[in-house]
Amino acid sequence: MYYYIVNPAAGRGQLKNVQDKLRARLIELGIGGEWARTTSPGEAAKMAQAAAAKGHTTIVAVGGDDTVNEVINGLGTAENVAVGIIPLGSTNRLSSQLGITSWQQACVLLAARRLTPYSLIAAGQKFFLSTLTLGFETELDKQVDTSPTNLRGRASQLKTAFTQARSYESLHAKIMVDDDISIEADIFSLSIANQKFLNPLADNRLIVTMSDHPGRSLRTAGHVWQLLRDRGRAGEDTATTRFLARRVVIETTPASSIMVDGKVASRTPIAIRLTDRRIRFITEKVGSEFREAVGPRVN
Amino acid sequence: MARRDDMLGVSGAETVIGGGVTVKGNLASEGDIMIDGSLTGNVTTTADVTIGNNGVVKGNITALGVTIAGSVKGNISADGEANVRETGQVHGDISASTLAISSGGIFVGTSSVKDHGMTKETGAN
Repeated sequence: MYYYIVNPAAGRGQLKNVQDKLRARLIELGIGGEWARTTSPGEAAKMAQAAAAKGHTTIVAVGGDDTVNEVINGLGTAENVAVGIIPLGSTNRLSSQLGITSWQQACVLLAARRLTPYSLIAAGQKFFLSTLTLGFETELDKQVDTSPTNLRGRASQLKTAFTQARSYESLHAKIMVDDDISIEADIFSLSIANQKFLNPLADNRLIVTMSDHPGRSLRTAGHVWQLLRDRGRAGEDTATTRFLARRVVIETTPASSIMVDGKVASRTPIAIRLTDRRIRFITEKVGSEFREAVGPRVN
Repeated sequence: MARRDDMLGVSGAETVIGGGVTVKGNLASEGDIMIDGSLTGNVTTTADVTIGNNGVVKGNITALGVTIAGSVKGNISADGEANVRETGQVHGDISASTLAISSGGIFVGTSSVKDHGMTKETGAN
C-alpha cells in the first residue's frame, strides 16, 4: 500500500489548493493509499521510519526538497522500500532532477512505479541524495530570492548576484580524494553531486566540480546567469576542475557554509562519501515527456 | 582561469584539473583526463590524456593517446599517438605507436615505437 507523508506547510500551503484533485486522481489511478500529515519539522523522518517498520513498501513524500530529505534520512537502513515524490514545495530540485515536474505527472509515475536506484551520499552524519555546494553558490542561495521568474525578477536577481560575484573572495580549499589524492586550490564555488542525477544511465559516483573566480565581467555574468537559471544542476560547463570520487574530505580557509539539496546544512571541514545504501526512487523514464491526457480515459 | 582554448578544446574529459589547482597523488580513470594545473604523481587511463599549456606533470603517464602542450617530467607510454605540441616539453622517455613533435616542442629522452606489442628503440633525443 502507498503511504503518503504530507507536509501541509510546504510550498506556502499550496497543497490545500490541490489536495482534493490530488487525492481523487490517486484514487482514480488505484493508489489512494494512506495519508499522514506532518505537524512540525523533523516529523516526516519519524513517519518514514515508522511506515517502513510497519512494512509499507512505497512511501511518498508530498512536499518539497525538505520533506524529501527528511523521508530519506528517516528511512535509514530500511530495505525493500521505494520512494516517490509529489512535488508541492517551494523548492523541488530533487523531483525535477528525477524528471518529475508537476503533481499531475507525479501521480501517473507513482502508478507506473518505474524504479531507479540511487546511492545516498553521507555528509557528516546526514544523508543526502543529490547535490552539495559550497562557496559562491551557497552564498547566492542564502541571499538571493530566486522564486520570481518574470523578467523584472530575473533582472533584479542577476544584478544582485553579479555584484556579489564580483566582490566574492575565493576560499582556499584542501581536498583529500579517496584517501589517496590531495588537491589544493583557491575556489569560487564547489559542488558535489551524484553523477547518476546528471546522467541516469551513469553509475552512482560522486562528481566533484570546482571553479575558480570567473574573472572577466562577461564570464562572471554568464556564470551567474547559469546558476540562477539552472538551480537544479551542479555547475557543469563552467567548472575548471572536475573529477569522480567515492569519498572526499574538504577543508576551507575560511570555514564555509555548506548547502545540501538546497538547504544550509553544515560547515567545513566535512567528509563526504558515497554510501552503499541505495534508495529506489519512482522516476520518469529517461527522455520521455509528460503530457496530461485530455478527454475520457480508456482502461 | 584556464580557458577552453588553453585546454586545446578538450572540455568533455571525465577528469579535468584546471589551472591553478595543485594535485598530489596518482590519477586513474577510465575516461579522458585533461590537466591544466600541477600534478605530482602518475596518470593512468585507457583513454586519452591532454596536458594543457599551463599543465605541469611530474610523474609517468600511461594512456591510449597523449598530447602535451605543457610540461612533463616523467615517462610516457601511449598505445596510440604521443604528440608534443609546439609549447610542450617532455623530459623523460616516450613509448608510443606514433610520435609527433611539433616545431618548438621540446623532447629530452629516449623514444621507442610500439608495434603490435613489440617495442623497438628508435634512439635518444
